Amino acid sequence: MDELIIQTTNLTKSYGPHVALDNLNLAVKKGATGLLGPNGAGKSTFLKTILGLIQATQGEGTVLGHDIRTEGDAIRARIGYMPEYDALNPDMDAIHQVRYSGELLGMNPTVALARAHESLQYVGIGEQRYRNIGSFSTGMKQATKLACALIHDPELIIADEPSNGLDAKAREYMIQTLTTTVQSGKRSVLMASHLMDDVERVCDNIVLLHKGRLAAQGAIEDLKAIDREIEIHVWGGATKLEQAMLADGLSVRREGRVMRIAHIGEDTTMRILACAANTGAQIRRMHEYEASLEDLFLVIMENLGYEVKTSEDLLASPAQARKVDAPAHMGGSGA
Amino acid sequence: MSEEPAQTEAPTEFGAEAPVTGQGRMAAAWGTSAGDEDLSVPQVAQPSSTGHIFQQEYKPWHGTLNPRWMRNWAILRHHLLGIFKKGHRPWGMPTRLFILVVFIASLSDAALTLLSGLIGDGSIHQLWGVSRDNLYGHVLGFFPRNVLYYPIVAALLVGAVISEDRQHGTSALYFSRPITRFDYVGMKFISVAIIQALIILLTLTLYYLAEIISLGRGWAWIMDTFPLFIAAFLSGMMVIFTYTSIGLALSSVSKGKFFPGIGLLSIVLGTKVLAVLVSTLFDRDILYLLSPYDCMAHVGQTLIGTQPTYDQYSWSWSFASLIVMNAIALYTLSARVSSMEVTRE
Repeated sequence: MDELIIQTTNLTKSYGPHVALDNLNLAVKKGATGLLGPNGAGKSTFLKTILGLIQATQGEGTVLGHDIRTEGDAIRARIGYMPEYDALNPDMDAIHQVRYSGELLGMNPTVALARAHESLQYVGIGEQRYRNIGSFSTGMKQATKLACALIHDPELIIADEPSNGLDAKAREYMIQTLTTTVQSGKRSVLMASHLMDDVERVCDNIVLLHKGRLAAQGAIEDLKAIDREIEIHVWGGATKLEQAMLADGLSVRREGRVMRIAHIGEDTTMRILACAANTGAQIRRMHEYEASLEDLFLVIMENLGYEVKTSEDLLASPAQARKVDAPAHMGGSGA
Repeated sequence: MSEEPAQTEAPTEFGAEAPVTGQGRMAAAWGTSAGDEDLSVPQVAQPSSTGHIFQQEYKPWHGTLNPRWMRNWAILRHHLLGIFKKGHRPWGMPTRLFILVVFIASLSDAALTLLSGLIGDGSIHQLWGVSRDNLYGHVLGFFPRNVLYYPIVAALLVGAVISEDRQHGTSALYFSRPITRFDYVGMKFISVAIIQALIILLTLTLYYLAEIISLGRGWAWIMDTFPLFIAAFLSGMMVIFTYTSIGLALSSVSKGKFFPGIGLLSIVLGTKVLAVLVSTLFDRDILYLLSPYDCMAHVGQTLIGTQPTYDQYSWSWSFASLIVMNAIALYTLSARVSSMEVTRE
């Protein structure tokens, strides 16, 4: 059995009448896990709860074997937290900022300085370590925050939107660094992000929260089976074929000659071919459509009744695109 | 067919004993014979070595983290050493210069006491030597010390402590580590208090020592004056505590340097001015209870034994008022620090 690094049982956190976490039962395995969910899903509350910073209203949980209700200090000593927002003093050099973050964990100043050099080298800003953080680009600031989180070689790194606001090159490097930390360093990463591509590249597992509840949990590959489709390219009689397949009980999405049919059983392929034979349509190409994590997320959230933006929307206009609201029938504006 | 071992071409040597090949340095370097390769010999392009600039390698650390006292010490030394050297909390140059100027200015009475001892001038000593009034004046004298020196130093310090953590989000750096809110605010409080103590209490001690050294005071004098020194010392601690608690409370409700600094000065000096105005215009002194400085002065005068300014009121009123002021400040401070966020500020 895989070792669990985070486990919660009926974890509930209420702020007055508002329930931020609702009977959350989670089991996060060692390795890289993505924490997903639209705004207001309870991601931040979940992070604060497992860091031992706020008390759960009900339920229990452990992080690296420590009780989140009573051993917050021990948890925070063994994890490395990389916050989403600015958490660096712009008037300090990167090296001294990272060293100080190590000292705040209880590291000896000399040891912390040596580790700060190593950490900054690892995240790729070793040459810039004596520069003022105020002169850093967003990517370098993100890297410095990651170095602060890694200075004591934690067993679990909690990265909150690590690639937020980065350009393509910096984003690529951040993803590579997190991947190396997991694969080469054998450390675990819990990565909260709105960018599905990044989560998919770093993580093997995801936890999807929705209105404080667990919407999905498990290995990405397993969850993708929910959204398994067969894609065909049709020549001649596409409309007839579509109607035949619909009449046969298959779920079809069509865009011109390209159709995607939901994989509902092992005989799906044979049923498609039978429909094609009956209607005389030519299927020139047929393959299983590999759904991305983003597709999976959209499918799950659509099932829950949410309008969710895609990664393209997020990258184009993060501020606007991240305004995700509940559908009208659930009390939101439906936007 | 016998296979002959491939002969590797020896690099061209250009020493004195090198054979004459007819190939100059430039020809060898720029390959003028390129294109004349022997095509009967299979050639395979060898990957060129492009050098090795950076390799990302995760390095584990097997050390042990020290306990709570070491973390608290880190916060304390970060703030204190920042006054003196780079690499710690970056106090601004104006702040550091002002602290230096105030420190030197606060030693004016010690310097004049030393001077009076050195030149044997009794009149200078009468004015500046250690006495009940001068000890009071060193700590609680209104002008210049509690107008230009101590409140401004406190304002410069508190403006750059908690409010800057909120401004830059560096509070997340503390609270995502095993640091409790109590330790965080406690160490910040002590850091600011120690810097003020260097100015108020250290200079007071140096002043007292200057008198002993320069005038060769004996045990009898020390026995007589030591209670006064202790009373002045306690008064100084009261000043430091009050300025720090009010200042940090203001710092905890703002996100910048300006508001806490100007707020502290407004409270300390504004209430004093208000009390004076009301006293002058309406002949009512009771509003002095709103002024932290007046209350501290009243308690300090009682402790040291000088003539109280507001002798028509009991010092216990001033003491009670001080307790209420500090309690409100500390309550605000603790409430605000408790609500500081890690995920978003």
